[in-house]
Amino acid sequence: MVEDRSRKSFELNAADYGVPTRDELVALRIWDMHYHGLWEGSLRQHDETLFYVERMGIERVFSLDIAGTTEDPLGLHLAIDQKREIRELLERQQDRVSGLIPIDPGLPVESCAKMNEWIRNGPCVGIKYYGGNPSGVLCSHSNNFPIIELAAELGALIYIHTWMIVGGEPRRPGGGNQKGESTPMDVAMLATRFPDVPLICGHSGGDWELGVRAVRDLPNVYIEFSGSDPHSGQIDYTVDQVGVDRLVWGGHGPTRSYSTELSKVLDADLNHDQRKQIFGGNLRRMAQRIFRDKGWSVEL
Amino acid sequence: MHAPAQRVNALLSRRTFVAGSVVSAAGSRWGMGVATAAQKQASDGELGSPEIVDTNVHLFRWPFRRLKYDRTDQLVQKLRRHRITQAWAGSFDAVLHKQLDLVNASLTEECKKHGDGMLLPIGSVNPAWPDWQEDLRRCHEQYQMKGIRLYPGYHGYKLDHSAVAELIAAATKRGMIVQIAIRMEDERVHQASLLAPAVNSAPLLELLPRVPDARVQLLNADTALRGGHVQSMIDSTGVVVDIAGLEAQGALGRLIDGTHSGYAIKLPVERLLFGSHAPFFPCESSILKLFESPLNREELQLVMHANARRLIERRG
Repeated sequence: MVEDRSRKSFELNAADYGVPTRDELVALRIWDMHYHGLWEGSLRQHDETLFYVERMGIERVFSLDIAGTTEDPLGLHLAIDQKREIRELLERQQDRVSGLIPIDPGLPVESCAKMNEWIRNGPCVGIKYYGGNPSGVLCSHSNNFPIIELAAELGALIYIHTWMIVGGEPRRPGGGNQKGESTPMDVAMLATRFPDVPLICGHSGGDWELGVRAVRDLPNVYIEFSGSDPHSGQIDYTVDQVGVDRLVWGGHGPTRSYSTELSKVLDADLNHDQRKQIFGGNLRRMAQRIFRDKGWSVEL
Repeated sequence: MHAPAQRVNALLSRRTFVAGSVVSAAGSRWGMGVATAAQKQASDGELGSPEIVDTNVHLFRWPFRRLKYDRTDQLVQKLRRHRITQAWAGSFDAVLHKQLDLVNASLTEECKKHGDGMLLPIGSVNPAWPDWQEDLRRCHEQYQMKGIRLYPGYHGYKLDHSAVAELIAAATKRGMIVQIAIRMEDERVHQASLLAPAVNSAPLLELLPRVPDARVQLLNADTALRGGHVQSMIDSTGVVVDIAGLEAQGALGRLIDGTHSGYAIKLPVERLLFGSHAPFFPCESSILKLFESPLNREELQLVMHANARRLIERRG
């Protein structure tokens, strides 16, 4: 098992360079809320990506792309064989891989049907709003209310992609967003309508300086901050604004480097317990109910 | 295509044959090949933890927000915590200021004041502005700089501007390296009133072969490695890149192996130089990239310091 040793060991001592060793990464019990290894259902890419998941000591990944794509969020054109293949993989790798299903806020009835199929009666644990959708409906639209109500009933995780791309006329943050791409302000509206339902505001809105402020006073909004460049000071700022309990870590692999995403937290002035909370503790707390309902144990 | 596990096996095999050696036959006609005896001896002597030369650092204040380590004394401490023993430092002031000579003078003073010689000032010149030749001369003769850093996206020109070729030729004649900041910040989160696009590297394909001794490094190169011209540019020029902006899991190993799906190029390890983009990015980001890819010691030493030293010490 030479390969396994190499996969799990670093050539140099990471501690000499002021970063965690692999054992220390493992001890942080990292749960990756933003995993694209199963993008478009590619099992081959998933296998390749797991190499880095293991190498960097990640304990669990949450795939956001189960049975759906950006063009076809509900997987209406997905072959039965492909669905079966993905479902079997999630069951087989339940100890390591969890699944969230993309939904389409423009099609709430169909979205709820998919949630019943994949969450209530399947292996998945949550829903994902993509960065845009065919009908251009934002997460703050009333179409979403039945989706959120069902998610709350199931105890499902709710992950909402948000960005504030600068653009438009006049140029402004969010003015360059795609059709149906929500901003943190949309999440804030949804969170106000459902104050008891935890929502994950994805990417910290891209522009984290503004995104964090948009959801700051809404305790049911958690901030995930992957998928953007690593800015020194970002997590210090976020913790200062919302506290350490409302941050959720994502790796955004394979398109982003784990190094990029880990560094955001390692850069911050936090102690080991606080890092552990952000890297997985907060997410474990959120996922506890649905894991328990499915008969899976979660060690907090 | 090498799967990561295949790369591990390949590296293990290679290690059997190259154990202890430091610099392979980097073998390029662009002069990046052979380490000096002193370099080799220094590297061979590093039994445990090789030091790092950081080719992408800035001093002073980023114009759009305070950064955690924008005080030079604190930045120096931070770099040292990560075993960075030399840092090539530009000035954030150069991004928006017009009086670049003042910026370069201040940078020189700051580098002298802090870090006991670990900070190498890298001046800034805007070839689209009048009298840039004098700025270049002062960088070289007055401030004793070993290189200059360009910010085309912020300074309002493209790399096909005729003065860019003149500047690169003039800097090369003086034995200076030229760093081109492809971008400083993701354009999607720019201050709304700012228009500073990522720099298109395609003109270098035609420009650099005309200055064969030029030593050009692309900083924060992510977008610059995504065009259809990139493999030709790598093959026909000696351009090097820093690792700060490189993305995707296992990016370094995949670039070297030619299996990076986003960049779709094969980049020899001799073209990769450590850069952190500190204090804008956390140092930890680039440091961890050294561990995320299963690189062997030979490759690590090249990226961590040997490639940088050969670039800056070579004369045109």
